[in-house]
Order: sequence, then C-alpha cells, then structure tokens
Amino acid sequence: MKATTFRIAALLVPVTLMQVFLMPNLSILHVSPDALAVLVGFTAISAGRNTSMLTGFIGGMLMGILTGQMGLLMLAGTIGGFMAALFQIPEECHATQSLKTRRFFLASTLCSFTSSTIMTAGLNPLALSPAYRIAVLGGIGAILTLLLAIAARFLFMKKSFAD
Amino acid sequence: MKKFFGFFFRNNSWLLLIALSAISLGFIKMEQENVVQRLNNAGTGFRAAIASKIASYSYLIGLKNENDRLLETNIALIGRILSTENAIRNEADRTRILSQKAESLKSFTLARVVDRQFSSRENMLLIDGGRSRGIRTDMTVMTPRGLVGRVVAVSEHYAKVMPLIHIDFRASVVSSESGTMGVLAWKGGREDMATVDHVPISSSLKTGEEMLTTNFSTFAVPGLPVGRVVSIKQGALFSTVTIQLAVDFASLNHVVVVSLNRDPEKLRLLEGKIESGTGR
Repeated sequence: MKATTFRIAALLVPVTLMQVFLMPNLSILHVSPDALAVLVGFTAISAGRNTSMLTGFIGGMLMGILTGQMGLLMLAGTIGGFMAALFQIPEECHATQSLKTRRFFLASTLCSFTSSTIMTAGLNPLALSPAYRIAVLGGIGAILTLLLAIAARFLFMKKSFAD
Repeated sequence: MKKFFGFFFRNNSWLLLIALSAISLGFIKMEQENVVQRLNNAGTGFRAAIASKIASYSYLIGLKNENDRLLETNIALIGRILSTENAIRNEADRTRILSQKAESLKSFTLARVVDRQFSSRENMLLIDGGRSRGIRTDMTVMTPRGLVGRVVAVSEHYAKVMPLIHIDFRASVVSSESGTMGVLAWKGGREDMATVDHVPISSSLKTGEEMLTTNFSTFAVPGLPVGRVVSIKQGALFSTVTIQLAVDFASLNHVVVVSLNRDPEKLRLLEGKIESGTGR
C-alpha cells in the first residue's frame, strides 16, 4: 500500500507535465486524452478513495499552476477521484487481472468524464452549448482517455495488474 | 463519544471530499474575485511601498549632503548676482558720468601750472588759461584729488589762482559722515595741512572723516574733497580741527578750471543789494 502510494506520488509530476505538454498534440475536436485521469483511476482501484481524491486534488493543483484555473482543476480532480473510487477493489478482495483491468478502464473513463464535465461546466472558451460540451466533448474525452488507459495498461502496467 | 469519532472514521472519504471540494471552491472563488491577483497586486504594492520607504529614507540620509551642496551653489550664485549687479551699477554710473561729462565738458578747462610763488609776501599759482579759454575770476580750480583754489585774476592767456594754502583763503566745508560744517583756513606752516574753524565742540566729528566743499560756497563746486581730519582739539566753544589736504601742492602740474553756475539773486542777497520787504 505504501509502495503504491509513493509510486503514485512519484508519477504525479511527470504525468501532469505530460498532460500539459504532450496530450494537446493528441487532441481531437479540441479534446485531448486525460493522462491524469488514468493515474487517478489506477490510484482509485489500487489505493482507495482518499488517495485517489488527493491525487486528483494535487494533480489539479499542479495543472492549475501551469495552466491557470487552479480551483476548477482541483475540484475536477477531487470529484473525479471520488467518482473513480466507485470502482475501488477492496484489499481483502482477491480480484482477477481482468477485473482489475476492467475496473481500471472504467475508473479512468469515469474520472475523465466527470472531470471533463466539471471543466466544461465551469469553462466555455469556445462558446459551445452546455449539452454539447458535456455530451460530445465529455464523451470524446472519455473515449480518448479510455484509449490512453488501454495503452498504458498493456504497455506499462503488466506487473501492476498481476493476479 | 465513540459514536462521534466512529462517524468520522466511517465517513472519512466523504469528509475528505467535502474538505477538498471546499478548498477547490475557495480557490475558484478567489480566482473569480481576482483575489489571487489582488493578493499579488497587494504584495507588489507592499513591496513597492517598502522599497519606496527605503528609498525615501536613503534620500533623507543623503539630503544633508544635498543641502550642503545646494547651499554652496546658492552662495556661488549670490556672489555672481552681486558681482553682476555691481557691474551693471558701475556701467550705469559710468554711462551717466560719461553722459554728464559730455554735457559739462564745456565747463571744464584743463590748464597747466606755469608758475608757483610760495613766499612770505605772496602765495599764488599761475596757469596757462585766460579769458581766451573762457576762464573768469572766482572760478574753481581743482584736480581729480580735490580742491586747489580759486581764480582771482585773469588775463588774456593766463590766470592767477589763490590756493588753499593762502592766508586769506576761506571755504565752507562739511564732513562726509557726521555732517559737521566749518570754515577752511590756512594759517601758515606746513603746506599739506590746514585748519577748519567754527566747529562746535558738541559736534560728532571724528578723526579720519573726509571734508568736502558745501553748496554754501560762492565759488566752489559742492562735494569736492578738501582733506581728511587728522586731529581735533577742544576749545571753550569751538574745536580746532586740523586736516590733511587732499591735494599735494608740491607736485601740482595740471589743474582743471570749473565754470561756476552762480545764482545772481543769491549773490545780490549776500551783497545786500536786494531790498527788504519790511524796509520800505
């Protein structure tokens, strides 16, 4: 547990930097995948709700420092972490690799959608309608984040999801 | 109590969510109200105010030296102003003198002393200017240093001058500072000394004062230097004042003869030729 927490804390800054500087290059319709949501989803299934909320909170703070809108990003990260923790796997539960993977995907997607919804509710730089922002942009963001989570799962997290 | 802490222990996630959300909302609120920006502005203003205070204190510390420097500059400027004013005044005086000289040059006649007689019988100067040059009797003879005497006899080309150092010479004089009046006379002896008679003992005349001719004189131009007081001897009613004459008769070579604008009415009055209004 502690090792996982330290690993997450160590990944927080690089993931934030990647989200700020790399993910905009992968954007579709002005929507980019949410790397921080992937990290928060992983934190939610492996470290619990409180840790995932703190991860989202601190990650949003770091992003806010770099990009502005700190409060909104902190709130989005916190609620995203809370929502991702709905797919938490209890410690005493001996979940299978596929269950962990499935919950990781769901947690990351839900975290991304929740965060995107909160962000689109708070910001409207393109003057889009709220429904469009929530349904289309949130949905596209969730899909892109799911793709990113899938890539991360099979490229970098093989040992983490071992039985 | 156990139930109270048990509630928080069971619902710590919700409490953490509320706390983190509250913090986030607080940040949002601060951003919407530009609180952060205002904090930054306030910090900048505070730093600027402190820097300004520090700068003002350092300015005050350096103000004494600045005041000293300005004082020296003021003194130098005052000196320059005074010298400039003096120059302007001198120039104005010079211009006035030159203009007056130009107007009154006709009344000045330069003459050379051709003969001097200093004896027990006669003490006279003979100059090379006479009626042909406009010289008349009772004209004032002077040098730039002061009064020399008066013209007493005139020929066609020469004139005889009675100097101060003549036993019969008399002239009204006044001191330049105390305004004490008296009558100049020469009573023999040294040719560079003369006496001033009829000076009251109550006068405030002091040694060193300059004696000038007055406008009471019937021949001398007023304000001509005569001499400087060297001694004062108190008598019963009058003081005996000894002056050192301004003109050195031993080295007198050239003199200026000044025509006198005498008031005929004044002369007639002095000579008793005007009738009194009550004497008819």
